[in-house]
Amino acid sequence: MAENNVILSVKDLEVKFKVRDRVLTAIRNISLDFIEHQVVAIVGESGSGKSVFTKTFTGMLDMNGEVTHGEIWFEGRNLMDIKTDKGWEEIRGRKIATVFQDPMTSLNPVRTIGYQISEVIMKHQKKSSEEAKKEAIELMGRVGIQNPEQRYDEYPFMFSGGMRQRIVIAIALACHPKILICDEPTTALDVTIQAQIIRLIKDLAKEYDFTTIYITHDLGVVANVADAVAVMYAGQIIEYGSVEDVFYDSRHPYTWGLLSSLPQLGMKGEKLFAIRGTPPSLFEEIKGDAFAPRSEYSMKIDFEKEPPIFRISDTHWAKTWLLDPRAPKVEPPEAIRSLHQRMIGLTSKGGVYGE
Amino acid sequence: MKKYILSRILRSIVSLFVLESVVIAMIFTLIPKTKILDNDQGYKKMTGDTKTVYRLKTYEKLGYLEYEGLTDMCAARAEDYASCLVNDTDENLRVVESFKNDGYVIEYLKKGKKAYAYHEYSVPELILHFWQKLINVDTPNSIQDENNPDLERKYYIGKDYNNVPALMCSGCTYKYQIYFGEGFPWIHQNMIRLDFGVSYPTKSGVSTMEVINENQGSQISVMQKFPTGIEQESPIRQHTCRYKPELDHLDQNKFTDHYADCRTFFNAPSMVNTSYLFGIVSLIIAYVIALPAGIAMARNKGKLGDKIGVVFINVVIAMPSLALIYFVRQIGTKFGLPDKFPLLGFTNIKSYIVPMVILAILSMPSLMTWVRRYMLDQSNADYVKFARAKGLSQREIFSRHILKNAIIPIVNGIPASVILCISGALITESAFAIPGMGKMLPDAINKMNNNMVLTLTFIFSALAIFAVLLGDILMTVVDPRIQLNSKGDDN
Repeated sequence: MAENNVILSVKDLEVKFKVRDRVLTAIRNISLDFIEHQVVAIVGESGSGKSVFTKTFTGMLDMNGEVTHGEIWFEGRNLMDIKTDKGWEEIRGRKIATVFQDPMTSLNPVRTIGYQISEVIMKHQKKSSEEAKKEAIELMGRVGIQNPEQRYDEYPFMFSGGMRQRIVIAIALACHPKILICDEPTTALDVTIQAQIIRLIKDLAKEYDFTTIYITHDLGVVANVADAVAVMYAGQIIEYGSVEDVFYDSRHPYTWGLLSSLPQLGMKGEKLFAIRGTPPSLFEEIKGDAFAPRSEYSMKIDFEKEPPIFRISDTHWAKTWLLDPRAPKVEPPEAIRSLHQRMIGLTSKGGVYGE
Repeated sequence: MKKYILSRILRSIVSLFVLESVVIAMIFTLIPKTKILDNDQGYKKMTGDTKTVYRLKTYEKLGYLEYEGLTDMCAARAEDYASCLVNDTDENLRVVESFKNDGYVIEYLKKGKKAYAYHEYSVPELILHFWQKLINVDTPNSIQDENNPDLERKYYIGKDYNNVPALMCSGCTYKYQIYFGEGFPWIHQNMIRLDFGVSYPTKSGVSTMEVINENQGSQISVMQKFPTGIEQESPIRQHTCRYKPELDHLDQNKFTDHYADCRTFFNAPSMVNTSYLFGIVSLIIAYVIALPAGIAMARNKGKLGDKIGVVFINVVIAMPSLALIYFVRQIGTKFGLPDKFPLLGFTNIKSYIVPMVILAILSMPSLMTWVRRYMLDQSNADYVKFARAKGLSQREIFSRHILKNAIIPIVNGIPASVILCISGALITESAFAIPGMGKMLPDAINKMNNNMVLTLTFIFSALAIFAVLLGDILMTVVDPRIQLNSKGDDN
């Protein structure tokens, strides 16, 4: 990365949901900068708040959700000042686009593919329908659709899952967004297609010059595409660093747990690691380190006081008391320490990891 | 698709056939035959042999049995007709015996002891007869008149009394085979007619189709030109003229040929048309109001407008329709609208307003509920989420994406609602004394008007089957995913 321009800056963000008269805190004071042209992966288990976090960038929280606190700075303005849907339409699709998990349901079944692509072009770029059609066909070709002219007038059901995700990507890119949020873009696809789609997004990122935010729980994808990784747990980012930092020098016990439970890295004959317990309820206020009750390394202070951010390097920080100078020296589990070797072993056998 | 529709039509015809046959079997076996005559005032006054013969002839007319009086028997089978008519001659006994051997029941009149025979049809025979006579194709050989051997037999293009070209026929039952004008659908035909037998005891002797189709009210005269060249005001509908074997002086005055048995113009539409008019207009009102209302409710879910709509839906559904009818009618009278249809009649637009409004109100709640519900279902779909992420406004999402999906199941039901308007609205029509189709079926069942029951069952079920097919075809238009293909058929 030649220059480290911050494209999107989140400051002290808090999101709350009203669920059946109770208040749930889904995002607890996250601050994070996204660097231009970087691929940032947000990982974490289900319910950790990955999707909610990125939805705030486009104002797409569900009706019962609300940003109660914090700022999101993008192109010199605080997105939290946008109050109306009308205002958000300037951002959504045009500046920040999103690709969702399930391509099978992301497209309107009764509108042609062409209509759904050109609609965005016409709306955001104010082009005539002929121009939009031309551009849509070009875009379809670009995302790898054969015979785009003929397929322009076809309906989603005539496309396979992988092809539909390509269309979804084409729609997302139709307005040359600055940021592309990929919300588990490959989860619903089969493994062979996953690699193609990941490769496609990677290639397009260069060509269309956008910043990619991946939301995933597939660490394989992360290792393959990401420049930086943010690990989320219970509504907080508990570790952030470059992909090397997080994979080979992770510091938070939760990150250790995540990495140890990678099925691809499991050894034959070894029992696959699983993090015990369940995430804490977000309805109650969390005291101390949210991961403490499930951690094998928790200390007394973990249950009493929330850990601050400890910087390990310029690019790497984590929120765990283990990094405090007063904490006892703890070695990461065996599986993590040999992770490097295992991954190299994997890649030497099967080409690039994740493909 | 063509193949599928063809097979679907074929299956529809088979199911219609089975259904109608079952109804025939039920009507002719489960309703006691003696009950049929209960509503015939003339029959009640008769006595003795007249009564017996009238009964048997009525049964024959209604298709229950075949009746042969002595003259018929002798005419059919006797070599010596004169002696056959005399009781106890050899010829007479032989003929009677031969009928007896053929399975006829032989009985004797009380007076004169003349023999007569009848043969009751079995269920398969009844069903067979119904289908045999159902479709009536008019051909140039239809008329066989001994007194008119020189009758020409041909189709030709002629001009009717309005100088409009028409396909005409000589030798057919009807002179005008295909003609134009005279109201919706502006092209009419007399070539293929459905014959369900005659109505009895109400409108006794008139074909059931005619009872339904014939215009009502009083006759009106129209200035018209007759084939003989005379011009005069007359109620005669020349398009409906049938062959008449014997012409009287008046006929000859107007017509140059034997086609002088004509129906007449009336000032009021037929029962079908009356019901259809009410049905279709109220349906349009209902759709025009309920569709946007349902959509608006879905868009503003939980807000005041939605709540008002839900209250309206619940009130109309919860209120017995009769109560609603009388309530709205009461309001109508406050505005000077009539509370009975015949008060002002067909010609005054005021007669129509209240019943149409009531019919529309009655069909709105379900429509609104479904539209709202389908819209809400769709608005939670993933593609809506994605459409939002694309940067479309809420309005664009609703009008371009959700509506087209939500409307699919609604569209499926439209042909049925449109077509089945003809079945009429029983309660509303009764409350306003509207001469429509609504009361037709219950009346026919009450009066044991078997042929009418059969006619209505046939028409309603045929239309219902057709409407469902049409609905499915219409659905393929709005939903590209649905293709009407039978298995393994790629066309």
